[in-house]
Amino acid sequence: MNNLPKLIRRFTGILLLSFVVLVLANFAVLAFLMVWQSPSVADSPYNIAIQTGKAFQTSENGYTLPEEISTQLKEQNVWAFVVDNDTLQIVWKTENVPDTIPAGYSLSDIADLSVGYLDGYPTYTGSTENGIVVLGYPKDSFWKHTRASWNYNFFAHLPQIIFLVLTVNISVILLIYVIANMKFLKPVKPITKGIQNLSVGEPVHIPEKGLLSDISANINRTSDILQEQRQQLKKKETARANWIAGVSHDIRTPLSMIMGYAGQLKDDENLTGEERRKAEVIVKQSKRMQNLINDLNLASKLEYNMQPINTAKQNLLAVVRQIVVDFINMDIEDKYPIKWLTDEALTVCPVNVDKDLLKRAVSNLIQNSINHNEQGCKIYIEVTADDNYCTAIVSDDGIGASDELIEKLNKTPHYMLCDENTTGQQHGLGLLIVKQIVSVHGGETVITNNSYGGFTVKFMLPKIK
Amino acid sequence: MNNDYLLNKRILLVDDEQELLDMVVSILREAGFCQIATAKTVKNALDLADSFQPELLILDVMLPDGDGFSFMEKRKGSYPVLFLTACGEDDDKLRGFGLGADDYMVKPFLPKELLFRIMAILKRSYKEENPLAKLRGSEIDFSRAEIIKNGEHISLTAKEHNLLSVLYRNAGRIVTIDTLCEAAWGDNPFGYENSLMAHIRRIREKIELNPSQPVSLVTVKGLGYKLIVEGR
Repeated sequence: MNNLPKLIRRFTGILLLSFVVLVLANFAVLAFLMVWQSPSVADSPYNIAIQTGKAFQTSENGYTLPEEISTQLKEQNVWAFVVDNDTLQIVWKTENVPDTIPAGYSLSDIADLSVGYLDGYPTYTGSTENGIVVLGYPKDSFWKHTRASWNYNFFAHLPQIIFLVLTVNISVILLIYVIANMKFLKPVKPITKGIQNLSVGEPVHIPEKGLLSDISANINRTSDILQEQRQQLKKKETARANWIAGVSHDIRTPLSMIMGYAGQLKDDENLTGEERRKAEVIVKQSKRMQNLINDLNLASKLEYNMQPINTAKQNLLAVVRQIVVDFINMDIEDKYPIKWLTDEALTVCPVNVDKDLLKRAVSNLIQNSINHNEQGCKIYIEVTADDNYCTAIVSDDGIGASDELIEKLNKTPHYMLCDENTTGQQHGLGLLIVKQIVSVHGGETVITNNSYGGFTVKFMLPKIK
Repeated sequence: MNNDYLLNKRILLVDDEQELLDMVVSILREAGFCQIATAKTVKNALDLADSFQPELLILDVMLPDGDGFSFMEKRKGSYPVLFLTACGEDDDKLRGFGLGADDYMVKPFLPKELLFRIMAILKRSYKEENPLAKLRGSEIDFSRAEIIKNGEHISLTAKEHNLLSVLYRNAGRIVTIDTLCEAAWGDNPFGYENSLMAHIRRIREKIELNPSQPVSLVTVKGLGYKLIVEGR
């Protein structure tokens, strides 16, 4: 909605500019026409009359007009005569003077014809030695302003008056434009608001009336479709998570029997070593399946927001320490010695977390190191804290991973969350779950190589102040 | 410590899957338990609970004529219960514990783990008379809250008793600083590490022959403490 005033401003600006340009263009065209239509100074009838007057030669025989001028006048179909100053009678005239032209003139006749017409012919005067010459142009060849007179002030202030009139006109037009625009844009307001709401996924219902009712109706329909699709998607996700939960439930009982009997056979002293070793493999692989089922279930629930998260203030240090001790107590120290590197001065790392999920994340990381290093490895665990974050770091000196794989683990989505072809992605769910758990707590997971030559996973959680 | 007396306890097993019943029975028999009964329905189990008088119940959640939770609500008597089920959701577990279960195991399971958990429940529920914990150079008498060292009886404070109980229950295993603080001072005990060290020092003075070189209550640096019990 913030763009609307901007829109109006821009339109008004364009309109204003158009006015200015148009007015200037009009003035230019007018000036051009004036210049083009009016005869040049030399050719103007006034000038020709004056020149004709000067050209007369007087002698005892009276007036004579040089040949070239009389020819010129004739060509233009102009007649001429000379009135003597003393007698006020025509003392000389061309042959083509119409018969209706009188032979004598009073002073007022002279005044009239000098500014206007004589018998309908536009006339122009010039002075000779003893009189005036009168040129008569064909009727309707010129229009003369015979009685023009204006208040002087009006002409003195003409530029200002023109400017004022233009300004008033432009303002009135602008006002009409803005009011019309406002009227037009009023129904646009709920539409833009509706579109904004659409973009954040909120349900939209705009009143469908006025000029833009079609658009409103379409937006409403779009919103309905989006809401329905969202519900469908949610339903699908729930169904998928439930399906995974159902499958993992149903697999547990048969797997119990495989694991249970194999577990018994593994310890049965009546069997040969080879047979017991085979049973042990069955137990181990069943265990793997069990972990996979658990992981799959948890990962799908975390992904589809179906895992309840019960956060409370916890000491990250205590949670990690408990998991470390649980692993040490499992007597794996010979093959997988765990080194606790945390600074002893650090006693509290308060974080807001679901304790069980966080435990799961930490034990996944330690288990990850164990799973990927069958020949054994040292595992280093450290908890640190700064002003804003509490960090847990699990490293090992095992086989590590290529930079390419590390990059992939950090960036590429897991195959479970990937909508593309997934062949070639082999890594398990352990790290995915860690990432998901850290992410639901607003933290960040970073996977790197380390100076021990192995693999490091570090996760940071926001510290409670 | 001799736990043979626990093998005579009567165990009732309830599950709708015959093959699973057979397997658990064989696991229990192999471990030395001899009084075992099985039931496949809630009704059957309620009848057996009256006649067989079990001292431990191993119970599935999903049963043909009801569920294990409703059985818990109907049952009489005060024998301990271990849930053994395919329902692994947190809500199920919490419901089970909420109804008074002593433990909750999700299938699949390792036979050894099942046995450990059964023994742990039985040990907690059916204590031997006056058990004495034997340490190197001293003994702990939990019922009297006393240490017996060189024939001398030294009494324990309440906190020392709590700490030693937790350590003894986890004898031979590391117990974290945090768990010990929780045992002594309750939930979310932030910042009690120094007090804990003081208490550990006093306990050592009571149980160790040479408190500056402890052999029974040993420190695991940065993580916690471990109680070494003779014969374990």
